[in-house]
Amino acid sequence: MTELAIHTDQLSKAYDKGVDALKNLSIDVSQGEVFGFLGPNGAGKTTTVKLLTGLLKPTKGQCAVMGLSPSLRQTDVHRICGVMTDSARMYGQMTGMENLAFFAQTADMDEKEAKTRAEELLKAMDLWNARDKKLRAYSTGMTQRLSLARALVNRPKVLFLDEPTSGLDPENAQAVNRLISSMASGQGVTVFLCTHQLRYAQDICERYGIIEKGELLACGTLESMSKSAQIYPKAAIRVKDGDELEGFARTDGGWWQTDLTQEEDMPPLLKKLVGDGHEIYEARIVRPTLEDIYFRYVQIHGEEALS
Amino acid sequence: MKLVNTQEKAVIRKDFHEIWDSKMARSTLLIVPLILVVAVPIVFLAVTCNVPESQVNGMENIMKILPPEAKSFSIQQASFYIMTNMMFPMFFLMIPLMVSSVAAASSFVGEKERGTLEALLLTPMSLKQIFKAKVLGCIFLSGIITAISFVAFAIVVTVGDILLQMPFFLNWSWLVLILFFAPVITVFGVVFMVCASAKSKSYVESVQTSGYIILPLLFLFLGEFAGLFLLNAIHFLILSAAVAVLDVLIWILAARSFQTEKLLS
Repeated sequence: MTELAIHTDQLSKAYDKGVDALKNLSIDVSQGEVFGFLGPNGAGKTTTVKLLTGLLKPTKGQCAVMGLSPSLRQTDVHRICGVMTDSARMYGQMTGMENLAFFAQTADMDEKEAKTRAEELLKAMDLWNARDKKLRAYSTGMTQRLSLARALVNRPKVLFLDEPTSGLDPENAQAVNRLISSMASGQGVTVFLCTHQLRYAQDICERYGIIEKGELLACGTLESMSKSAQIYPKAAIRVKDGDELEGFARTDGGWWQTDLTQEEDMPPLLKKLVGDGHEIYEARIVRPTLEDIYFRYVQIHGEEALS
Repeated sequence: MKLVNTQEKAVIRKDFHEIWDSKMARSTLLIVPLILVVAVPIVFLAVTCNVPESQVNGMENIMKILPPEAKSFSIQQASFYIMTNMMFPMFFLMIPLMVSSVAAASSFVGEKERGTLEALLLTPMSLKQIFKAKVLGCIFLSGIITAISFVAFAIVVTVGDILLQMPFFLNWSWLVLILFFAPVITVFGVVFMVCASAKSKSYVESVQTSGYIILPLLFLFLGEFAGLFLLNAIHFLILSAAVAVLDVLIWILAARSFQTEKLLS
């Protein structure tokens, strides 16, 4: 059995003013997994990260990171975790190199070791040429990459990333995503990725949790979530101009579409269409995207809230 | 056993870096001591040496409250003696109090204001270690500046003593002030600021709060200057002990209030 990197059970957080930031969150993330925690701003993603890293104490429920309770063993959790959140800023008056060397020293590295680690990360994040620039002179993208480097400074086993690609141009965002994927696959790092950028999440995550207003709406793989949201793959067929497919809906570019209960229904469907005398030029399965699934769940939740 | 480990040393160094980088903190830490213990004594010495005794009014009453060893002083000598032993100690004690509170404001409130505290709290350092490193850093900085200020002050006053043919200024009161009262006041300034930092939203606001802790000191020396009482070494020793007890109490309070969730709220 794969060991759990992150476990939460009925985890809840209410703030003083009676605001429920998180309600009964129960999720498990296996070691080495890239888990996408999706939701709009204010959904409870950052609160979850803060609870899992011991910055906040839960009002109800419990959680563990690599079997350690963040509220009871905060220091031990920080020793094995890397955390990148928008609210955890680095020192503007210090250079990129000084910042990373400082955080490396707080992770108990001596000066020489800290400098070596900082150099490694600056090169990996493509910040080597800006190493002696003060952080306040960095662009948003550079600051984001340096924050990611800070989160990696102690070679974490679990990485909490809160919107790591916000403010990055597509090229840099892709580079960061590649790095996250390679850490998970190559080094077995567990990644808890909070984002509202669904396209990036779909590229790198294996499982997802969808959260809105502090409530977990769904959790699972793309396939399992699409099934439970009843969003099916579609068969898309392009036939000869003028030909019409019964039971199909016409879309742009001469394509016709119909829902499939499962992907295995495609070959018999094609056989039937050919048998019926249709000339098929192209055929493909259109799988539901994370975006489709996400908005479906949000819609279902909205309808449930209204009824 | 080391007083601070590598992690704590890194935090102390980083805090010094930050304090030095703040123009406001830097000027407070450099200019205020220079004015209080160098510029003011020099100006006063120059005035004392150059104003004829016949133009000095009201000295007779002040001379009455002088201790026996100063009874035989001339008006010039007496006025310099009064400044050295009644006015300058207040100026001098303002330095550890101000430096420690400005350093603590930058270290605690400044970090919160700049949004860097969360990153620090996410490091594998315990809260206790962060608190210790920050408090010790402020005390250390305050100690260095206070020591340098005292050396500068001692030079100026010694020059005055030579010019006015007076005995060396350093007496038991000054020794108790330097060795006991200034250190306990330094600790007080830091821990008071840690407590105040929980309520202060900005660095400037917290520095303004530090003004309140100068008031008791001001009343103490103004009372002495007004002739209400005369403080000697024993009094300073008792005051040092009282402030030390207060330090312990607010240290405990400050350490208790130093909690992650409270700090980030």
